[in-house]
Amino acid sequence: MSDPSSINGGCAVAMVGKDCIAIACDLRLGNQSLSLANNFEKVFPFGDKTFLGLTGLASDVLTLKEDFRLKHNLYKLREEREIEPETLANLVSSSLYERRFGPYFVGPIVAGLHSKTNKPFICGFDLIGCIDFAKDFIVSGTASDQLYGMCESLYEPDLEPEDLFETISQALLNAVDRDALSGWGAVVYIVTKDKVVKRVLRTRQD
Amino acid sequence: MDIILGVRLQDCTLVATSKAATRGISVLKANDDKTRILNTHNLLAYTGEAGDTVQFAEYIQANIQLYLMRENDTELSPKATALFVRNQLATSLRSRKPYQVNVLIGGYDTKTDVPALSWIDYLGTHVELPYAAHGYAAFYCSSLFDRHYRKDMDLEAGLDLLRMCVKELEMRMPIDFKGVYVKVVGKDGVRAIEL
Amino acid sequence: MTTIASEYGNENNSVPIEHRFNPYSDNGGTVLGIAGEDFAILAGDTRIVSGYNIDSRYEPKVFDVGDNIVMTANGFAADGAALIDRFKSAFKWYKFDNNNKKLTIQSAARYIQHLLYGKRFFPFYVSTLIAGLDEEGKGAVYSYDPVGSYEREQCRAGGAAASLIMPFLDNQVNFKNQFEPGSDGRVKKPLRYLSLEEVLALVRDAFTSATERHIQVGDGLEVLIVTKDGIKKVYYPLKRD
Repeated sequence: MSDPSSINGGCAVAMVGKDCIAIACDLRLGNQSLSLANNFEKVFPFGDKTFLGLTGLASDVLTLKEDFRLKHNLYKLREEREIEPETLANLVSSSLYERRFGPYFVGPIVAGLHSKTNKPFICGFDLIGCIDFAKDFIVSGTASDQLYGMCESLYEPDLEPEDLFETISQALLNAVDRDALSGWGAVVYIVTKDKVVKRVLRTRQD
Repeated sequence: MDIILGVRLQDCTLVATSKAATRGISVLKANDDKTRILNTHNLLAYTGEAGDTVQFAEYIQANIQLYLMRENDTELSPKATALFVRNQLATSLRSRKPYQVNVLIGGYDTKTDVPALSWIDYLGTHVELPYAAHGYAAFYCSSLFDRHYRKDMDLEAGLDLLRMCVKELEMRMPIDFKGVYVKVVGKDGVRAIEL
Repeated sequence: MTTIASEYGNENNSVPIEHRFNPYSDNGGTVLGIAGEDFAILAGDTRIVSGYNIDSRYEPKVFDVGDNIVMTANGFAADGAALIDRFKSAFKWYKFDNNNKKLTIQSAARYIQHLLYGKRFFPFYVSTLIAGLDEEGKGAVYSYDPVGSYEREQCRAGGAAASLIMPFLDNQVNFKNQFEPGSDGRVKKPLRYLSLEEVLALVRDAFTSATERHIQVGDGLEVLIVTKDGIKKVYYPLKRD
């Protein structure tokens, strides 16, 4: 278990609904088998309606979170507007590919609504920035197998925000309960055109 | 198998480090202090690879001191200190020879009057915690901390908690770690305390 | 004919070349068992793979082993077949020696533990499942690790896509993480037995999902349904890509 992407554990998932998106993550941060913190969020806002989820090596999660915060701020100063989810996705991709031969050990996901059209957008990446554009859902982290199984069976297109919340929550909760390195709490963001709701979920504590 | 523990109390942070300096099967020293004072309200405790630890700790200490001189005696907050240390370790991780040093930073924020404790490993993993430990000590002490820690504990209660931990470690650890040095980081700075 | 001296004659061959035979391989596939009130099912896909090659699109791996017990051993197909053969043979001798006495599911379960543990140091590389009815007529599923550690459960997924299917089963069969509406997450949704129709719907959903995301799963789904009236076999096609 010296695989850098599974030392700290943790996972994230994003889904598309009807004129809305949801993005969620667990809260565990561990050192191999020892759990250290139950407040380690892996989803970060970039503007009003765009979110970035980062799983993998916690050190790189922190580094990249700050790196993208810097780049996002510079973008806002230069462009005098918020970054679009598609643009953030390309920024993430090119930033990761810069480290092609000494990569950050992360599994990023991006989810958001277009600032003007409110068109939902989600995508995922591998650790060197190859983008996976998905229409339905994106999973990432040590519970990705379990999340694939849950999402593939629970997901349906065009869910309303409340139903999307239930779907992504059940997918995440049941997935992390079958992964020893994920869990210890969860956070879900539901993003609609005029509102972002953040919910903290009560989960099993083992 | 060095021991470093930290507990954040109501108005100060406690840091305990084992006194033994061991190399292989030998105990070389029984009065080794594994801490460095970074500035008046920040203390760095460290474990890890023999040569790296002191080198790294003193490099950090020097840089924090330099900041103090350059910035007209404005102290770096515990949060800023921790982020600086994390950044150094995270940068070092992708260098030719990374520092293999794990640290705890006990601090006291004089602006907000809030004590702080940071857990940082050699990978650059950083978490702020109410109580923390590195290495094997974490396996023995985490459960005791989970059970007995209260966030409104005063100094005496905190020391009692540390005494429980040290008792457990003396019972379970396979080698004698020669007891611990305890440092308190509070409003008036860092001071040593007998357990 | 004379041999012409070649430069190869001087080559130093004193270092023996090491060969290592790997006795195991992975043939993919996935299996699933669910117990109901008065029935139990064992389902498995019918694909066999080796590496990226599909060796067969229809090779059944869930078997009726007699006395209303169904069995599957998924993982390394040769070991799976060998294990089931050993069980069938032992079953035959059990009937022969014991005046045709009925083998109960718990006795079958314990015996399989011994078959597996008998090869503790050269294990059958399989996840084994059996299903049937217990002495009260209630559905029973037993699941094993490769060396015979076993447990009776309401449901279990095994094989390549077990990690995809198992959390789904926790959620849909044992109602994990489901709560009574309006109870603020304090009252669990009460457990109940699922009907055969509900179970078959779940099984088909589980396998279509696994087929979608796992390359070793697909082609066909064969389900063996055990009731007091005997064993029924049903087949559903799955995606073949």
